[in-house]
Amino acid sequence: MDRIDHLFKHYANRSSSHLIDPEGIEELCSNLEVPHTDVRILMLAWKMKAEKQGYFTLEEWRRALKAMRADTISKLKKALPELEKEVRRPSNFADFYVYAFRYCLTEEKQKSIDIETICQLLDIVLGSTFRAQVDYFVDYLKIQNDYKVINMDQWLGFYRFCNEISFPDMSNYNPELAWPLILDNFFEWMREKQA
Amino acid sequence: MSNQKKRNFQIEAFKHRVVVDPKYADKTWQILERAIHQIYNQDASGLSFEELYRNAYNMVLHKFGEKLYTGFIVTMTAHLKEKSKLIEAAQGGSFLEELNKKWNEHNKALEMIRDILMYMDRTYIESTKKTHVHPMGFSLWRDNVVHFTKIHTRLLNTLLDLVQKERTGEVIDRGLMRSVIKMFMDLGESVYQEDFEKPFLDASSEFYKVESQEFIESCDCGDYLKKAEKRLTEEIDRVAHYLDPKSEEKITSVVEKEMIANHMQRLVHMENSGLVYMLLHDKYEDLGRMYNLFRRVTNGLLTVRDVMTSHLREMGKQLVTDPEKSKDPVEFVQRLLDERDKYDKVISTAFGNDKTFQNALNSSFEHFINLNARSPEFISLFVDDKLRKGLKGFVDVDVEVILDKVMMLFRYLQEKDVFEKYYKQHLAKRLLSGKTVSDDAERSLIVKLKTECGYQFTSKLEGMFTDMKTSEDTMRGFYGSHPELSEGPTLIVQVLTTGSWPTQPAVPCNLPAEVSVLCEKFRSYYLGTHTGRRLTWQTNMGTADIKALFGKGQKHELNVSTFQMCVLMLFNNADRLSYKEIEQATEIPASDLKRCLQSLACVKGKNVIKKEPMSKDIGEEDSFYVNEKFTSKFYKVKIGTVVAQKETEPEKQETRQRVEEDRKPQIEAAIVRIMKSRKILDHNNIIAEVTKQLQPRFLANPTEIKKRIESLIERDFLERDSTDRKLYRYLA
Repeated sequence: MDRIDHLFKHYANRSSSHLIDPEGIEELCSNLEVPHTDVRILMLAWKMKAEKQGYFTLEEWRRALKAMRADTISKLKKALPELEKEVRRPSNFADFYVYAFRYCLTEEKQKSIDIETICQLLDIVLGSTFRAQVDYFVDYLKIQNDYKVINMDQWLGFYRFCNEISFPDMSNYNPELAWPLILDNFFEWMREKQA
Repeated sequence: MSNQKKRNFQIEAFKHRVVVDPKYADKTWQILERAIHQIYNQDASGLSFEELYRNAYNMVLHKFGEKLYTGFIVTMTAHLKEKSKLIEAAQGGSFLEELNKKWNEHNKALEMIRDILMYMDRTYIESTKKTHVHPMGFSLWRDNVVHFTKIHTRLLNTLLDLVQKERTGEVIDRGLMRSVIKMFMDLGESVYQEDFEKPFLDASSEFYKVESQEFIESCDCGDYLKKAEKRLTEEIDRVAHYLDPKSEEKITSVVEKEMIANHMQRLVHMENSGLVYMLLHDKYEDLGRMYNLFRRVTNGLLTVRDVMTSHLREMGKQLVTDPEKSKDPVEFVQRLLDERDKYDKVISTAFGNDKTFQNALNSSFEHFINLNARSPEFISLFVDDKLRKGLKGFVDVDVEVILDKVMMLFRYLQEKDVFEKYYKQHLAKRLLSGKTVSDDAERSLIVKLKTECGYQFTSKLEGMFTDMKTSEDTMRGFYGSHPELSEGPTLIVQVLTTGSWPTQPAVPCNLPAEVSVLCEKFRSYYLGTHTGRRLTWQTNMGTADIKALFGKGQKHELNVSTFQMCVLMLFNNADRLSYKEIEQATEIPASDLKRCLQSLACVKGKNVIKKEPMSKDIGEEDSFYVNEKFTSKFYKVKIGTVVAQKETEPEKQETRQRVEEDRKPQIEAAIVRIMKSRKILDHNNIIAEVTKQLQPRFLANPTEIKKRIESLIERDFLERDSTDRKLYRYLA
């Protein structure tokens, strides 16, 4: 326990001693030899149940490291692959997916995330499992004008889309059902391209 | 004998102790046999009924019933065989007559014989369950005469031949036919059907098959139908005269099938004479005939209705999508009303007000009226025209008739909310310019709209009328409390409640001093009695009456818009003004100002102002001066134009956009209402329910509904079910 706290203090020593701030996280990342836009950092945040993007509290830090049984940087580094496997388990991934969206809501009462951030987030979170869907959808998001932000409902809709709809033929997609409209539009756009 | 015991009396049949003499039976039978011969030979007058009856009675009594019965059959059979030879020998026309004659004779004989053998009929035959005398007489006739090979076919052919002759116009002996055919009927239903009716129907079928083919090749639709009707009548007549009434339905079915059902499509679609031709040329008689004939066959009316419907839809579509016809909205609507009247008349005159046809008419109109997105606007303009001047001089009853017809068209509209928007705009203009022909007519239409669409539709419209009324009262109060203002310009103010009237942006403008003073006085008066309210002058909607004195002493009263008044009043203080000067002084926005100057300077007969240069359009470098030479044969000259007009393209887009914006909250309200009561509902059902709820106002777009659902999800009114994506849940 002491060692975990000690490790925390190391990264938190810049501004305030109760929080690891973005600079601290950057140092943590370089120590872990993981790029700070890597999905594994996000997974770590998830494990911590970190509430604020870019900051880790002591409680959150303790939570993750205790669960991962890591009290040094090298142990933490070695625990990352195991963490990834844990997150990617279907029972956890849906939860992680929701978490990823919430994590990016930085302002109070914010409910949607701008397109650019969403594109990055999709890449990080789903890029390795649904490469094609993500690439095409990101393309679409960038050229369409109907939506400037994405909300949680649409975010979730896309995940369901990846899981349920065969791609790229999308033969089992029906725009008359309850899919979010943005996906209907994406579907139309894809069809036009394929024609 | 007083000691006799009492005994029950028994009545026993009196038993003749008779000698059972076999010869007795023979003798008796011989008597009877001879009698039968005589009866058949028309020689019965010398016979004693009583004696014969008793003989027959005795035979049965002495157990010789069987002998009697058998004898009767054998004897009768022999006679009938003879008769059939005679009949068969008859030549040509007399064949039938002979048959008929012999049949009548047989019947008479049979009756007499039956009477004589009555006791046998009632006892021996009853107990042995054999065939009674009379029916037996018929059976024997049937077997020995009718079914006699040499007669059977010939009889049938003779009858059918006669029918054929009659059908081709010859006169035949109907009485004889009746008699012979009645014979068949008497012999039993199955005899009638097997030996006559069925072959008759088959032959008729052949006949009509051929005839209908001839007719269809040579006649036009109207003539063909006349012929078919005639044949139908003839057959019914035939049945009445000499066939079994039960045959009527069967023979008419044959005619209906051969002449109508088999040629239905060809008749209806016949070029230059079929249904469409008849409809176009109001051929009520032919149409009525077609209706009456076709209703007799399966899918006959369905065929007629379908062709009428597709014709209506085609005609309607051409009508509403023809750009020529859309140029004049009033004409457009009048044309629609005329077409509807025309088809209404067809249905009531020729189709007996058949409800299914009424429905087909209505659904066709509903279909094509909505093909033109401007229909709601045009109908409102039509009403506007009528309420301004079209109804002038009309009697109340006629006014109601026209308004009811308009309501009929209104009901067909899918986008009733678009109509409402335009109606409101046009009504506002009518009320403010005082140009309505009849207050009663206006009110009457509002009541009809309220009945049709409910209170919300018309509450704002009624608010407009209320404002007009209230304003009158306000004006009275204003002038009442400011008696000093009775000299000088008269101000008439209409105070409009913002929510009730179509929204117009308030356009700024500098009013002439005389006017603005008055306006201020009014404002203080009004706010004095209505604290907390805010008044905004709508200078773009007002009018003014100005007295003008021109160069040669001409005096005129000019009726102008407020903007025009502002411009004209400037010339009291300057002879000549440039565009820029006018713009600066009045502060009227450029596009409005240009329109205003154009109507003052460039319209023949109304150019109280002159402009330099004398070009058609207003340029920013132009200058203006009073037209001292202005003349008009009227003292009062109307220059302002506040008449409702067909919208320009950009205006139309704007209105359409506002309608779309207005629909969003309505869709959301419907979704919330439905979800609140259902708590959980799946996607398809929500779409269906919402569409249904909004249908009285407009046709909701499923994509738009989806958008609103998503918006409501975002705002936490609804959520998706976590396990079943198709379900939505209401969040309290």
